[in-house]
Amino acid sequence: MYDRILAGILLVLSGLIVWAALQFDVPFQYEPLGPKAFPVILGILLTIFSVWLIIKPDKNSWYPTADIMKKLLAGLVLMIAYAALFEKAGFILATFLVGSVFSWLFGETPKRAAVFALIMSVISYFLLTLLLQLNVPSGTWLASVF
Amino acid sequence: MDVFSHLATGFSVAFLPLNLLLVLLGCFIGTLIGSLPGIGPINGVAILLPLAYALGLPPESALILLAGVYYGAEYGGRISSILLNVPGDAGAIMTTLDGYPLSRKGEGGRALALSAISSFAGSMGALLMMVICAPILSQFAVQFGPSEYVWLMVFAFTCLATMVGSRPAKTIIGVLIGLVLATIGIDSGSGVLRFTMGIPNFFDGVDFLVVVIGMFAISEIFVLLESWARNDLGVRPLGKSFVTVADLLAVKWVVFRSTVMGFLIGVLPGTGASIASAVAYGTEKRFAEGKNEHFGEGDIRGLAAPEASNNASAVGAMVPMLTLGIPGSGTTAILLGALMMFNITPGPLLFEQRPDIAWGLIASMFVGNIALLVMNLPMIGLFVRLLSIRQAYLVPVIAMLTFVGIYSIHGDSFDLFFMVLLGVVGFLLRKLHFSLAPVILGLVLGEVLEVNLRRALSISGGDWSVLLDGPITYVMAIATVVAIVAPSLMRSIKMRKLLAKANEVED
Repeated sequence: MYDRILAGILLVLSGLIVWAALQFDVPFQYEPLGPKAFPVILGILLTIFSVWLIIKPDKNSWYPTADIMKKLLAGLVLMIAYAALFEKAGFILATFLVGSVFSWLFGETPKRAAVFALIMSVISYFLLTLLLQLNVPSGTWLASVF
Repeated sequence: MDVFSHLATGFSVAFLPLNLLLVLLGCFIGTLIGSLPGIGPINGVAILLPLAYALGLPPESALILLAGVYYGAEYGGRISSILLNVPGDAGAIMTTLDGYPLSRKGEGGRALALSAISSFAGSMGALLMMVICAPILSQFAVQFGPSEYVWLMVFAFTCLATMVGSRPAKTIIGVLIGLVLATIGIDSGSGVLRFTMGIPNFFDGVDFLVVVIGMFAISEIFVLLESWARNDLGVRPLGKSFVTVADLLAVKWVVFRSTVMGFLIGVLPGTGASIASAVAYGTEKRFAEGKNEHFGEGDIRGLAAPEASNNASAVGAMVPMLTLGIPGSGTTAILLGALMMFNITPGPLLFEQRPDIAWGLIASMFVGNIALLVMNLPMIGLFVRLLSIRQAYLVPVIAMLTFVGIYSIHGDSFDLFFMVLLGVVGFLLRKLHFSLAPVILGLVLGEVLEVNLRRALSISGGDWSVLLDGPITYVMAIATVVAIVAPSLMRSIKMRKLLAKANEVED
């Protein structure tokens, strides 16, 4: 079932690819093939194999329980939050918040998770900026502190 | 002889203090990553790649570090296979079959030592074969024109489709997704913008690193979330047993055969350590039939074969990557992408134009394998203790490293969101039994494939028959057909079950 849904999405996608590729506005072209042909070939191949998958899907073997779905969604929300906070709140705060929830999600007690995440974020901030000299955001909110 | 002067060049690069440090670091991280269940070599290399890039390491040093992680992981994978019955990475699945029974008998120390020595022998044997084969192959490949390259890639994708993954159709769809991702951005031939959806971040193409880290590392976090409860396993004590000379003598031909097989399978494009170890295990099992065999109950032959083979295949996979620019496995696809990020195009000319990179890497692998043997014999206790790191501490560190790595490339939050999105896509694909390695192979090879196809047709003025012109193209066309037919023949013999098992996990 999931296979068919995915194949359906891919089918639409391959149609879009071919259509979009044929719309490319090519002002000049030195070679016989040009920029359109390759995506069109890929789109056609993708269509063929998507249809094959629709005709012969695999048996579904993934049955996530409500608990697992909750965990996965929590992980997703957490990572989106991390991406959103990373620049604005800065590395230390974002990593502390996200890291402690992650640690808690994997079975650590809230207090110890927070302590671990705090130590991890502070130590790695200084390791990454001072030792490795990477571009790590200090955060626009806390810019005055650091 | 020529080879020795090349090797001398290589060792002069590998013995630079920085590179020596990096090879040790890479091997250590590799063993650690390989031994931790769930985090395979692909993730290790993917997470370290942006850091190596942002650090501004010279290309040969970055490659030495990342390659160290790659073959180091083949050593590490066996530790959790033997002690936990959980393969640390895909190449180590077969190691559980005879390794875990040994440790249950209290012979964990013997199993670890024997497998370390088999791994070492496999790597060293394969390295020697690489030193001999690589220059020959690269000299041969210099004659390749665009048509030959198109065939080479078609052959690589065919091998991938028929031998990797649960089903050929799914593997090909994976490759196509990768190829389509590769077309995003400005077309180098005409300057036309393709599939950018008006997003400026896509104008110079989808960033390779974002795709790799999103698809592998982020999706791995989801997989860990799903399965963390099942992973709370106790580590078996090592025991005082150690490998004996009699053990080593008993497996010497097993190791020799497995090394040669592993190397050849590694060289084949697309097929990696998981298949190499499965084939070696299956072959040795048949060799041993009727000769006092206890395969599956702790036979040392069943332990030595997959370990020698998966290490040999990791080395073998480097050969097509360096000489042809066609990666032999998922992880070497990332190494290839890494070289491209440094504006170095691997291929037949690499050995002539940048011998410091090609031979420096090969020489560093000699050093690295000796270091790995030391790490895995006297220092094994350290890694065993690290096995019990709780995921509550591990996952936040992985998440942090992926975000820092991706952010450090462009300093743009867009990449972080795109990475998470790709992580979700990667996770869903994995749940539907798609392998992700083909996507990465498609992404890495997409531009090369298109450029060569267009070049071939430019030469012929649009005549497609240029693709079947000259003896090399004929041979490769035949090889492609063989690659389609052969696995179905192989599957009909006994190895079917083993191959199916090996394919369950990502290489």
